[in-house]
Amino acid sequence: MTDPKTPHTSPTSRAADGSRASHTSHGTHAFRAPLRALTWAGCLAVVYLLVPLLLGDYHYVMSLVVAALVIACVALSWALLGNLGGMVSFGHSAFFGVGAYVSALLTTKAGLPVPLGMALGGAGAVLAGVVMLPVLRLRGPYFALAILACAHILRIVATEWRGVTGGAAGIANIPVLPAMFGLAAGSKTVAYLLMLTIVLLFAWIYHRVRASHYGLALRAMHDSEDATRVVGVNSTLLKGAMLLLSAFMAGVAGAFNAHYINFLEPDYAFNSVWITVPIVAAIFGGYRTIAGPVIGALVVFLLDQLLFKALMPTGHQLVLGALLVAMMVVSPSGLLPLLRRRGARHA
Amino acid sequence: MTELLLQALYSGLLQGCSYALIALGLALVFGAMKVINLAHGELVLLAAYVAYTLESGFGLGPVAAIPAALAVTCVASAGVYGVLRRIRQDREINSLILTFGIGVILTNLMLLVWKADVRSTSSSWLQDAVVLGPFYSMRSELLFAVLAVVLLAALWWWLARSWHGRALRAVASDRDAAALMGIQPGRVELLSFLVSGALAAFAGVALYSYGVIQPAYGGALTVKAFVITVLAGVGSIPGVLLGALLLGVCEALTVTMASSALQELAGMALFLLVLFVLPNGLLGTARRRG
Repeated sequence: MTDPKTPHTSPTSRAADGSRASHTSHGTHAFRAPLRALTWAGCLAVVYLLVPLLLGDYHYVMSLVVAALVIACVALSWALLGNLGGMVSFGHSAFFGVGAYVSALLTTKAGLPVPLGMALGGAGAVLAGVVMLPVLRLRGPYFALAILACAHILRIVATEWRGVTGGAAGIANIPVLPAMFGLAAGSKTVAYLLMLTIVLLFAWIYHRVRASHYGLALRAMHDSEDATRVVGVNSTLLKGAMLLLSAFMAGVAGAFNAHYINFLEPDYAFNSVWITVPIVAAIFGGYRTIAGPVIGALVVFLLDQLLFKALMPTGHQLVLGALLVAMMVVSPSGLLPLLRRRGARHA
Repeated sequence: MTELLLQALYSGLLQGCSYALIALGLALVFGAMKVINLAHGELVLLAAYVAYTLESGFGLGPVAAIPAALAVTCVASAGVYGVLRRIRQDREINSLILTFGIGVILTNLMLLVWKADVRSTSSSWLQDAVVLGPFYSMRSELLFAVLAVVLLAALWWWLARSWHGRALRAVASDRDAAALMGIQPGRVELLSFLVSGALAAFAGVALYSYGVIQPAYGGALTVKAFVITVLAGVGSIPGVLLGALLLGVCEALTVTMASSALQELAGMALFLLVLFVLPNGLLGTARRRG
């Protein structure tokens, strides 16, 4: 679609294509709008009412679903940076860990309420992102590994700054999630409903950003950053904004997780698991779509925990790695686009 | 204090030579294909585990395990290339994610086969202290430091003088033009992966001889190798040695003067500093990166 020899025309032609495509699709969707709203309402009813009612008593399954939603949130944040910002990060555990630590410290030591602590945890991750802004000068593997270096540094800081973070022993007795929706504080169902709301909210924000003219500029930048700068887009500012938005999402996920499991230590908060599984999930589902990372996280994490872990207790992430490699070879854009392509061919 | 610092400097230099061995394979593939093989650390570790298996199972010393390690890592490295070459679009980013996945596979495979225990060599001959004037080191450290320098020189000569080395540099600078000159780029790239695998075998056996190994170490090794590659500057073999020595000395001085907990911090800080202050590395040719 993009001719490498004429990079200067590609962003504008892509933009024109995009607007025309959305115009025609609006026409057909006008008939389907009520149906679509009904489907959405049905899905929301299922995830908000049916899932807690059916699974609420199975604590193990429910805890896995909540953990999968946490992974989904990080995967969404990673995919946002990868898709809109065009940057692959191997250091999202940095934002996850900072969010967790900021919220845990503010609620245990300063006595802030948990919801405020979680929001400030996200803000703390944004602050970490601001410190890391110089990495935007880098590209490709340099960016990916510079962010990983930042994550390593933050983990060492969390381990060595004993006076504040409690060092390697970690922080215990982190306040539980508050009572909500008429349910007791700290229950699995509260955690589920809260994380579900956060993920849906972030997905909606992601959708709004992508649909806005900033999203258009970011897509154009993916084709040719130089050409996009020439037509007057401040690409560095936009990429920086995406990095901070992505950091905020991962930070809130980390903060939520700290209050959900009530305990924190550096090796856990900055664990590479918080980047491996989200990457597999996002790639599996399709990191250029919004639903892809979320569905991918639910499928990949639940399969991993329920099936692969039962089959081979050690080294079960082997399957995740194989899945990632297979996806990159067969369909780098992910499962959802692959299914859609197959579907289009059959129709 | 001065003696302590000099000893740290000496240990750092020896450590740096081993780091150079680890980084060389990564730097070679990066120079040839502009691909960072994130599974390189795992290949090094795989060679170390081959040495462990031969030592614990058959009583062979680590040095005698080199041929077997060479065979295993070369096959594995060729396998990485076999998967990698199927990536057509967005190669820079997709190859990064792909090799990351291969690293996850190898780490868990090693976990499955060799368990999570920390292993180290039982050969006392390799671990004996060697005294050179006022400096102390393990025999294995000295042995593999010398080997590292020899291999580095050999690789440098191979790249600069041999037909295959020239072909590799030609493919690196312009793949299409090289193909028009009668070079088969696919073969040359496979060759670069094979040589990289061979270097990983030596690095792995060295690692097993002077240190401890654990399946989870692979990622850290890859990061070290990448840090050194960045310090070196793309396409510079002497730069790899210089960058590795710098990293080794920095870490050793940090351990001596501050604490061993901050060892990794020194490397990371050095890495970020070079990324921002010396965008082309210590000895690299000018090249746009941001």
